[in-house]
Amino acid sequence: MQNHLKTLVTVLVVSAATFFTACKKDDTTTGSTTSNTNSNPDPIAVSTCASATGIAKVLCLADAFKSQLEASQITTLQTTYSVANAKKWSNLPQGLVQGTNKRIGLSFGAMTTVQVQYAKALIKEISGTTANEGWDEIQQLLNADEYLGANGGGSTYGAANYYIAFLGTPATTGTFEIQFGGHHLACASTYKDGVLVGATPAFRGVEPFATFTLNSTTNQPLQQEQAAFSAMLTGLSSTEQATAKQSVTYSDLVVGPQQDGNFPATPIGLKCANLSASEKALVLAAIKTYVYDIDDADAATLLAKYTAELDNTYLAYSGTTGMTTRNDYVRLDGPSLWLEYSCQNGIVLSPTHPHSVWRDKSKDYGGN
Amino acid sequence: MNPSTSYFNRLITLLVVLLGIGSLLPAAAHPMPNSVVLLSVHAQRIEAAVQIPLTELQPAFGHAVGDSSAQLVQRLGPELRAYLTQHIKLQSPDGRYWAVTVGQLGVHETQNPLNGPYRELTAQVAMVPPAGADVRQFLLRYDAVLHQVVTHKILVAVHQDWATGQVADDAEPAQVGIIQLDVRNNVIPPLPVNLATGSAWTGFRALVQLGIRHIAEGTDHLLFLLVLLLPAPLLVARRRWSTFGGVRHGLRHILLIVTAFTLGHSLTLLLGTLGWVRLPSQPVEILIAVSILVSAAHAWRPLFPGREAWVAAGFGLVHGLAFAGTLANLHLEAGPMALSLLGFNLGIELMQLFVIALTLPWLLLLSRTPAYPWVRVGGAAVAALAAVGWLVERVSGRANELGQAAGQVAAYAPYGLGLLAALALLLTWQRQVRQQPGA
Repeated sequence: MQNHLKTLVTVLVVSAATFFTACKKDDTTTGSTTSNTNSNPDPIAVSTCASATGIAKVLCLADAFKSQLEASQITTLQTTYSVANAKKWSNLPQGLVQGTNKRIGLSFGAMTTVQVQYAKALIKEISGTTANEGWDEIQQLLNADEYLGANGGGSTYGAANYYIAFLGTPATTGTFEIQFGGHHLACASTYKDGVLVGATPAFRGVEPFATFTLNSTTNQPLQQEQAAFSAMLTGLSSTEQATAKQSVTYSDLVVGPQQDGNFPATPIGLKCANLSASEKALVLAAIKTYVYDIDDADAATLLAKYTAELDNTYLAYSGTTGMTTRNDYVRLDGPSLWLEYSCQNGIVLSPTHPHSVWRDKSKDYGGN
Repeated sequence: MNPSTSYFNRLITLLVVLLGIGSLLPAAAHPMPNSVVLLSVHAQRIEAAVQIPLTELQPAFGHAVGDSSAQLVQRLGPELRAYLTQHIKLQSPDGRYWAVTVGQLGVHETQNPLNGPYRELTAQVAMVPPAGADVRQFLLRYDAVLHQVVTHKILVAVHQDWATGQVADDAEPAQVGIIQLDVRNNVIPPLPVNLATGSAWTGFRALVQLGIRHIAEGTDHLLFLLVLLLPAPLLVARRRWSTFGGVRHGLRHILLIVTAFTLGHSLTLLLGTLGWVRLPSQPVEILIAVSILVSAAHAWRPLFPGREAWVAAGFGLVHGLAFAGTLANLHLEAGPMALSLLGFNLGIELMQLFVIALTLPWLLLLSRTPAYPWVRVGGAAVAALAAVGWLVERVSGRANELGQAAGQVAAYAPYGLGLLAALALLLTWQRQVRQQPGA
């Protein structure tokens, strides 16, 4: 009799638990507005811009964002265009950036939730739509910094410390740049007369590197990059690998922030011209994990350019091909393309974490 | 030397210097820890303190230094020395190379906000130019770590340079340059070093200033002397402090005490700096606290009337040993050391005389008033309290509130002096009004 009672109680408890878990699951899947309650809300759908496309939509969303701001916030957000201001970016949290290199613009921490959602609507529009790339990647990187802040990093980290700036007034004529960045993230979209003329320098890094969960969302923003680089390297023949491999050690990126234009005169490593079609496809797959971060139409144009230049692009690496061990390093150096990835020790958390930068030798900052 | 500062002073200064480097030198957005080379420039040689992060050293050195730093120097001392000697070269403009000797090695933990805590190798490196070559002009061909880890950076700065007056322990290092890969050409360019020419006069002046600062910040030295001067203008009667003994008596007495103190500390400053007498700093600092206690007791009741000068000279010997530590730490060569001794002592005397000149007139005035016993005993009591605070602090090695408060007294000295002056003038005026016939 007692045994039966025990079974009954167990069944009841398990049912109740299942019921609650199911309900909870429902809550988190009722749409994009649910996560608005957290400190890293999703973008808002701006209905007045819904029918616009291309540069018209970018301008519409930029104006919609500004319409949500106080006059003093707009003054902070928008400055006249200058290359000096364009070069103010970093991989570090704002609190650790040296004086003159500190990001300008308006921080998420100085905005209301709705204002942040409008800012994100614009950033999403100029970003790619591929899963784990583009906008999805940016939102995951913000989640990563929220995670860092909550797990030992403190208030130096977190989405509040990301900055958006308009260098120049967004318009169909003249030059302007939409700058967005924070710890481990830098986006630079430069437009001239209504056309995207520069999508770089673009920095991507992440800590924690391993998959993590924040607000019931699973995040692995840069694992695709790591996997693509690793596949590209392991796809090489052993002779090709030996040519690509460098004996020196890279503990960091070479052409990181404030190293603008500081590219090697002579490329090192393996020239891609002699690679097989499948090997070239793996190189392109790695390039895509960066080019697909920008809006799909412009990404296609840039990818075509980098594909055309692929034969004159050099591949070099150091460390292991896994791209998860400290001092693992890989570089793609083409006539226009510069792509670097470096695996470094964790700063707040213990395992390694990657830094990477995508530059275009002639079109960083739109060629300005 | 200041109370709670004395033991921790050097440690804290070292920390400030080490941590200061990170913020001072443009680490830019470099998330990897840098190497640091701090130069101490002497007349005939340069001593360098080299700091190399172990995580960066490991791939270049080829041994597991970053993963296992325990007993590193015992395990790999000779290999580390050979490695550093191979990768640190200095070349005079005429092409001749310097003699480089790697001295003491160590491992210590440091941290900065960019990297969190990390361990680094420290090495003392002596660098001597060839005969006749200028010590202030050379090419620094340093590529330790960098020959392998091409993203590494080496920050070079001058920590001490007597001839340009850079001698204070807590002065910010003057940046010389950064050694790093020339990415465009894939070469490591040597760092040309052209140190500004200094002069013996600049070095001497810097030491005078250091002496002045030493007394201005070293509350305990001044307190000893001031408290000893408290009863100096007075006569003794029946083993008690009595009345004012006249201006001549007072001045003569004070002059004697101050001269004796100066003679005492000058002697041990000389002997200590030359290395002939060297005592560990703890007993010296304890004795200094005791000296204040003794002079406070004497200000209360005459313990050694008429023999103050001898006591001042005796404790002067102790205070001088504390001064000597500062000079000995500069590791100067004979010529600059002689000038430094002179300059440092001159600075000490100047500051001492300045404070006495500011205080003495009021003490002399007050000593003629009936209120003087209160001033004398009050002053002695405050000094005794401070001395007890320091004594406990210096014996136990742990800071206490009393000692720390006493150390901050210097900041309020101008107010105390104002109060003293006001009191002296008020009481003197009252006394004169009372003495006027018919008033």
